[in-house]
Amino acid sequence: MRVLVAVKLTYDINQLKFEKDGTPLLDACPRVMGEADKCALEEAVKLKDAGKAEEVTVLTIGSSKEHQRILKDAYAMGATKAVMVKVDDPDSLSALSVARIISSYAEKTGPYDLILLGSGAGDTHSSVVGPMVASLLGVPLLANADRVSVENGSVTIVSTLEDGQYKFTSKMPAVVTVTSEANEPRIPTIRDILRSKKKPIDETTPEELGAHVSKINIESIIKYEVPRKRVKIDATDNVEEAVEKLIKALEEEGVI
Amino acid sequence: MAPVIVYSEEESWGKQLLTAAKGLGDPVLFTFNRNVAEKLSGMYTRTYYVKTDSFDPVAISGALRDVVNKESATILLFPCTNKGRMIAGLTSGALGFEAITDAVSVVKTGEGLEVEKLTFGGNAMAKVKAGDKASVCIVSGSYKETEEAGSTGELVEIEAKAGSVEVEYSPRKMEGVDPTKADVVVGAGRGVKKKEDLEMIKELASLLGGAWSVTRPLAADYGWADSWIGISGLVISPKLYIAIGISGQPHHTMGVRGAKIIVAINNDESAPIFEEADYGVIGDLYKVVPVLIKKLKERKQQ
Ligand SMILES: Cc1cc2nc3c(=O)[nH]c(=O)nc-3n(C[C@H](O)[C@H](O)[C@H](O)COP(=O)(O)OP(=O)(O)OC[C@H]3O[C@@H](n4cnc5c(N)ncnc54)[C@H](O)[C@@H]3O)c2cc1C
Ligand SMILES: Nc1ncnc2c1ncn2[C@@H]1O[C@H](COP(=O)(O)O)[C@@H](O)[C@H]1O
Repeated sequence: MRVLVAVKLTYDINQLKFEKDGTPLLDACPRVMGEADKCALEEAVKLKDAGKAEEVTVLTIGSSKEHQRILKDAYAMGATKAVMVKVDDPDSLSALSVARIISSYAEKTGPYDLILLGSGAGDTHSSVVGPMVASLLGVPLLANADRVSVENGSVTIVSTLEDGQYKFTSKMPAVVTVTSEANEPRIPTIRDILRSKKKPIDETTPEELGAHVSKINIESIIKYEVPRKRVKIDATDNVEEAVEKLIKALEEEGVI
Repeated sequence: MAPVIVYSEEESWGKQLLTAAKGLGDPVLFTFNRNVAEKLSGMYTRTYYVKTDSFDPVAISGALRDVVNKESATILLFPCTNKGRMIAGLTSGALGFEAITDAVSVVKTGEGLEVEKLTFGGNAMAKVKAGDKASVCIVSGSYKETEEAGSTGELVEIEAKAGSVEVEYSPRKMEGVDPTKADVVVGAGRGVKKKEDLEMIKELASLLGGAWSVTRPLAADYGWADSWIGISGLVISPKLYIAIGISGQPHHTMGVRGAKIIVAINNDESAPIFEEADYGVIGDLYKVVPVLIKKLKERKQQ
């Protein structure tokens, strides 16, 4: 079987800092392959290891050295082919454009039995690209997988949603989105890393794929300051007094 | 006025999104929950109730797409939940609409929708232009619930076409009160060191007549609970949220931003949770919580 995995180069938001005026310092923020995307790739490579998948193609959208780097990382983890869809400013693409690029690539080079994505991008986490790809391709969507299993042409996932646990099963081809709970992605060996350096990266463009893309118009982006009261109550010395203060405050707020 | 379609399977969401929809056009509800359909149809101009026996996102989105076409709607509103995002993505993909998530406000202008949305895990706020055909997933607590009826409320029943996905569902096991419905929620994080210590958290919750929950590591890594609060878990909007031994990573706090009042108890004065709290108690939870329990008990007896 053939598997396609889409991975995004994401800002490591735990390390994101802001200027005094609230401007995010994006250039100074390290970028990594999305956490959930890595787990999606791990699922694909596990299928290859189990002899169920022959081909694991990894696609990313972008054109920088860092995009190349995460594709090499994917090779080191066990991908069999890496593709870069060249777009100069991929972060400004709308979700629909990203989905169109991924689905056009899948149509042009497919058929794929399984298309894996992260359940949400590590930085923007919209979680709509996977569902969009499924509907553009007209195949079933199995989203938010905490566990994935593939057997006899079918895929089954377990997904925790707000009202409980779901087990979804469908025939392949299907689109599956994978959460960062699904597995512990492997850490490649030095040998795998050295080997990955020599592997080729295919290049294409949205135009070549016939994918219509549009940019999302971001007017501004600033640090979010939560509107809260931020009253501090020190309970390091006198716990009794601090707790009394708290109870009084909550009574005045009318919440207890 | 042009129709604005709200997708909701819950009453509270249906009422919040109704407020958002009213500012944009003529509110139309789409739901597969009969209860919600009956309760809210008096508030919406029209309600479409889809009969379906399971949550197959593709089948439900197919039914929604038919309604969008029938109504010639160009604006769809969803809850910013895992399910909401799924249906929003599927439906917009098929219709060629843009999808904007994590929205806290949506305004219609001459050039289409202008949306304020959280991004970078809730650390930043972005203003984006979403065009004139869009699905928007709205963060809980961004809009107040509409309470008054005020519509004649036509109720249309439709049938979803069978999908190709087999669905097995086991409802969330809830020990006690459901955090998404409670007025008070007590949340425990990794500052709580042992599973037994959760008893203290549960006792505090029950004293306040509320629910308890945890951060993701306690549920997903330690298995101490079936669900957690946050961007990838439950989104709650109680009157009071008490975060105990929780550092306050945006992944977690995005799930509680709808709370009216947030209290944090943490022994690390520089924990980010204090930025997100109305009342920040700096102290050891193992000292503070027992005293809090004691005082609340005394208060009850008075
Ligand atoms: C894509 C993604 C999605 C995620 N989704 C979620 C989500 O939905 N929900 C979620 O919760 N997390 C989520 N996470 C994880 C999140 O980023 C944090 O790792 C997590 O919320 C931290 O949990 P915590 O606050 O319990 O633990 P920690 O960050 O370890 O914080 C523990 C806190 O307890 C305090 N403490 C320790 N001892 C005491 C004491 N004796 N008294 C008082 N305070 C004490 C410490 O000072 C510290 O601040 C997600 C992560 C990713 C990457
Ligand atoms: N620029 C991109 N390049 C490749 N894959 C992407 C890109 N953006 C999103 N994806 C994939 O879509 C998933 C969901 O993204 P999102 O819907 O933006 O949260 C990610 O986890 C990736 O697998």
